[in-house]
Amino acid sequence: MDGLGKRRRDRRDCIRHAPLSVIIVPSLPITNITEISNGSTSLLNVVKALGEYLTSEEDPLRTKGEFWFLPTSQTRDSSSDLRPRVLTSFYCSKLEDSETVVPALKGLASLTKLPSSTSEDVTSIVDAIFMHVKMKGLVQSVRFLVFIIIDTLMARHRQVFKDMNNDFLGRYIALVDGEKDPRNLLVAFAIARVLLIEFDISNHVESLFNITFCYFPITFRPPPNDPYGISTDDLRQALRECLNATPAFGPLAIPVFLEKLAAGSPTTKRDTLESMSICFPVYGPALARSQARKLWNALKLEIFQPTDPITEEFALKTTQDLVKTIYVEEPSDSADSNMEGLARDVCEECIMILREPEKSQAKPAIKVLCAFMSTTPSVSRYTVAQVAPYLVKLYTNPDNVAARPSILLLLSDLIAAARDSMSVNKNDDSESTETPLTPFKDEMLGIVTSALKVPATWDPALACLLGMVSTEKLLSDEELGFIVHNVDEILSEDSEDGEEAKLLLVTISMKAPHHIKEQTLPLLFSMLPDDAPSRDAALERAKVWRILSALNTLCRQIELFETLVIRLTAKLDLLCVPSAPEDLEPRAAYAHSILMTLYQTILAKVDEDHTDVAKYIESLVPRLFNLFISSALSPNVDELITIDPRLIMVAGQIITSVVQSAAAQRQDTFVQALFAAYIDGDVERIAEGHHKISTSQHFLFPPEYQRNLVILMASAVVPLHKEVRVPVPDLNVFMRSIDVQRESAWQMMSAILNKRSADTSTFIENMLQDFWPQHIANRSLPVESRNRAIRVWVWISKALLVCNHTQAPQFTDLLFEIFDEEDIKWSAAKSFGDIVRTDTTLTKKNHASIKMLYAQRFVGRILPRIISGAKDSTEPQKQISYLVALTSLISSIPKALYIHEMPTLVPLLVRGLDLPDHYIRCKVIDTFLAVAEGDSADIVSDHAPSLITTMLKNSSVAEMPSVKVRISALRYLTVLPTIVRYDILHPHKANVIKQLTVSLDDPKRAVRKEAVLAR
Amino acid sequence: MPGDIFNPNPIVFRSSTKSSASSRQLLAAKKSLWMNEPSERSQGEEMDEDNEEELIDQDEIFELIRHIYDPEHPNTLEDLHVVSAPQIDITGNCVKVEFTPTVPHCGLSTLIGLSIRVRLIRSLPTRFKLDIMVKPGSHQSEHAVNKQLNDKERVAAALENPAASENGRRVSYWEGVG
Repeated sequence: MDGLGKRRRDRRDCIRHAPLSVIIVPSLPITNITEISNGSTSLLNVVKALGEYLTSEEDPLRTKGEFWFLPTSQTRDSSSDLRPRVLTSFYCSKLEDSETVVPALKGLASLTKLPSSTSEDVTSIVDAIFMHVKMKGLVQSVRFLVFIIIDTLMARHRQVFKDMNNDFLGRYIALVDGEKDPRNLLVAFAIARVLLIEFDISNHVESLFNITFCYFPITFRPPPNDPYGISTDDLRQALRECLNATPAFGPLAIPVFLEKLAAGSPTTKRDTLESMSICFPVYGPALARSQARKLWNALKLEIFQPTDPITEEFALKTTQDLVKTIYVEEPSDSADSNMEGLARDVCEECIMILREPEKSQAKPAIKVLCAFMSTTPSVSRYTVAQVAPYLVKLYTNPDNVAARPSILLLLSDLIAAARDSMSVNKNDDSESTETPLTPFKDEMLGIVTSALKVPATWDPALACLLGMVSTEKLLSDEELGFIVHNVDEILSEDSEDGEEAKLLLVTISMKAPHHIKEQTLPLLFSMLPDDAPSRDAALERAKVWRILSALNTLCRQIELFETLVIRLTAKLDLLCVPSAPEDLEPRAAYAHSILMTLYQTILAKVDEDHTDVAKYIESLVPRLFNLFISSALSPNVDELITIDPRLIMVAGQIITSVVQSAAAQRQDTFVQALFAAYIDGDVERIAEGHHKISTSQHFLFPPEYQRNLVILMASAVVPLHKEVRVPVPDLNVFMRSIDVQRESAWQMMSAILNKRSADTSTFIENMLQDFWPQHIANRSLPVESRNRAIRVWVWISKALLVCNHTQAPQFTDLLFEIFDEEDIKWSAAKSFGDIVRTDTTLTKKNHASIKMLYAQRFVGRILPRIISGAKDSTEPQKQISYLVALTSLISSIPKALYIHEMPTLVPLLVRGLDLPDHYIRCKVIDTFLAVAEGDSADIVSDHAPSLITTMLKNSSVAEMPSVKVRISALRYLTVLPTIVRYDILHPHKANVIKQLTVSLDDPKRAVRKEAVLAR
Repeated sequence: MPGDIFNPNPIVFRSSTKSSASSRQLLAAKKSLWMNEPSERSQGEEMDEDNEEELIDQDEIFELIRHIYDPEHPNTLEDLHVVSAPQIDITGNCVKVEFTPTVPHCGLSTLIGLSIRVRLIRSLPTRFKLDIMVKPGSHQSEHAVNKQLNDKERVAAALENPAASENGRRVSYWEGVG
């Protein structure tokens, strides 16, 4: 019945079109429609019946009658041959009548889409349209119908049009002339492209040019919320398809392009440049060659005096396309010296400019030459052959000594471009064992290595080398070795920094690690002292750090990392000998930096998914355990550096990273050994190395410095796979036994709980039944102990929360109960943020069991309660706790989780800015900053005045001692004008600017910098 | 670009921004025995919460003006060696900045000087007295330029004029409000 409904709707339409006809709406046709639909009457009968309406002298009445055909013809698909014919000629005849043009066109538009419309009709339809339709007098929607009709016919009966050719073209051009609406133009451009490509346009080139190029460049800008969704780019693309449809446009188009390029705005320029790029290949090499000079002069201007970097980029691209078009026919093996035409002229011109390599114009000149590299192989080869020797000659000229850095910089650009061009020009298969640079390799290497001897030219020389090293097939293995040798000299000198040198060596280490291993590493290791630099040898220390950071970047490759581990652990062993108390700290710091380097390198390797990390569970991990356990058990423990907790922390981090990479089975045997060591004192299985471990001491119940070793244990346990069982008889007992130890133990507990919550149900119950009332809610205990118990609580809640354990809410809800206790409410409230914040223990990498959307569920459950608590002013004590909980929670979760609550949150957060805790204030401001980045940034507009006042207060040194808060507050003041309307801010302008002058005189440099930015 | 270009092809120097990393390392080495984690791993830049005062020095003032763009070229004043750290002198509350035009007949020297002054007025505490001048012997009408640069009315006009103040390529936000 859909069809009928549609008809009814159309009927209503026609009534609306002709309000006068209310009197004469014939009842007859209504019945007829259904009859026609089921074939019981013929359309001809309808026409007969409607006769008087169809020929009526009254406009509205006639329109009405004619309209009846519209729905009929749309819905009938099984039509006889006759009917569409009749209708077509009927509609065509109705085009003459100005009153019926619109419905007639509608009828034709639907009729032409029917499969029954035939090619015989085409001529009559287009004739009628050309004859009678006056486009200028019609509204857009009607003109659109005309375009649609022609477009449909063109798609279905193209041959008919082609037979008409000139007859059609001339009249069509006249018809579309002057069209302005983007919707119609999109169709018109599509038709025009067909005409340009498939028709014989020789007699109409100019007029077709006129009806397309008059729209260039497109300046149309869609109105905001444009319902038709036509973008500037759609139109641009459609038009460009026309512009590059035929080579015949070439001679006419080039002057237009040049004119628009010279006079346009940046957008016009870019549009012109892009259009030129796609038109050149179509217009053909002959035209490009003849116009080359003119085009280059225009392009040159855009490159050498660019309006902006993007336009410059486009101009270079267009130049490339011009060159490609000109030399497309050039056989790729033609002799290099015979280059003629544009490429030659431009090369010579640019080389002239390069005569002054230090001047600002040299930069665009080399850019042009580099752009040439990625055109055709012959041009590319010609360019290199001209420029590379020229730059080498320039360099060797003794007059240019001062300009040498600039020359090398230009050369490095050229080398990089030559390298990049190889991937572009790769079409000629494998035979290219030669790179474009190969003929000049020796000369270049010569000057570059000589440049490495002079500090002023280090950087550009290294840039050149980097380009050469990263070029495939350019350098031989010996040459790489030679380069490594030369670069090592830079590293070995007490240079300020070797970032570029390091980068180069890293690149080489990818290709030929043996050079680094044989040359660079021994050098660097020999530069590391065996003993720590003394306390006041800052220079020495900085050097050590520099070497270590060089090792860190260099030794990520498998083979090199192995050497690094061996050499650095050897160094560590040397440091861990008993030493005099005054040497102790420098030595510990040195060992710490070595461990840190190992850790950083492992982290980098883990990030890059290196698989060799796991195998160090066999060597590095036991060595570390050996080192630390042996010294903790040693009789002269006070003379050893390894009891320093900072060292143990880093060692722990290393162990975590290695163990987390290991497979579950390996972890299983490992954890057996680990627990054998820690619980039974059987250290042999886990610690091996050359330090003798005293067996006289038992490992259980150790003194403070030995207890620190639990850090190492925790580091090893945290990243275990879920399947790996911890080898203790009863987890519940074990967990209780470790709950008094600190953060590490808590993390260990949290990790075990998270992965094996099913085995620890008694423990969880005990926590709720005993631990909470005895250790946290118990007012007789000292505050410190209760706060510590809250930390334990946080870790347990966290473990249960991330795996969506059913008892997690019980844990978190209990915290609300102590919100009114002066002593501990602060830490209780803050823990809401800690519970949900992502941390480094319960992570996917550590194989923790993390359920999707756990944070969302938690926030969804807890946030409303906290908000209402923070609003409730009946109990001011509790209210503050809720406020603290709110700020802590909000600053720990992603923006998306609370953004919808922002309107209620803003006033509360503003109040949070008055809390005495600096850390919280800083977090709140950071939250505001995070919110300011989103779409709903202006949510704070209503509170702008109070925000400004608080932020200013927090930014002045007199009122806010914390540097961090001052900086955050200033940052917020900086973003405020971008998110809040200026009329709201204007009243505060003078005050803010005045207040900011105070911050300009802040004692801290970082604060002053932010203040400058804020103003 | 309106009018004649005074120096179409000036020498571009390479800016020496890099040495900072290693000098920071040296500074850290002086402060502490212990190596920090590389900054990209630690959360943001670490800020020492001690209240040691850091005085405004040459480098800080240079940092403020080095990024100003030359009115004629897409290069900064630093790239063209128009300004440099040693050309800045601070004695007490008096800041003296010298700059070197790229060519002696440069007609835009006044504009450059005013850009520097506007930038510094906005970025330095009000207690400082500013003295901006062309390097002696580097400009043919040195005296006239210096006079204009320290002329109160010219400076006031420049502060109002967006062309001069926006030359720092950063529209100062609060100044821009309203």
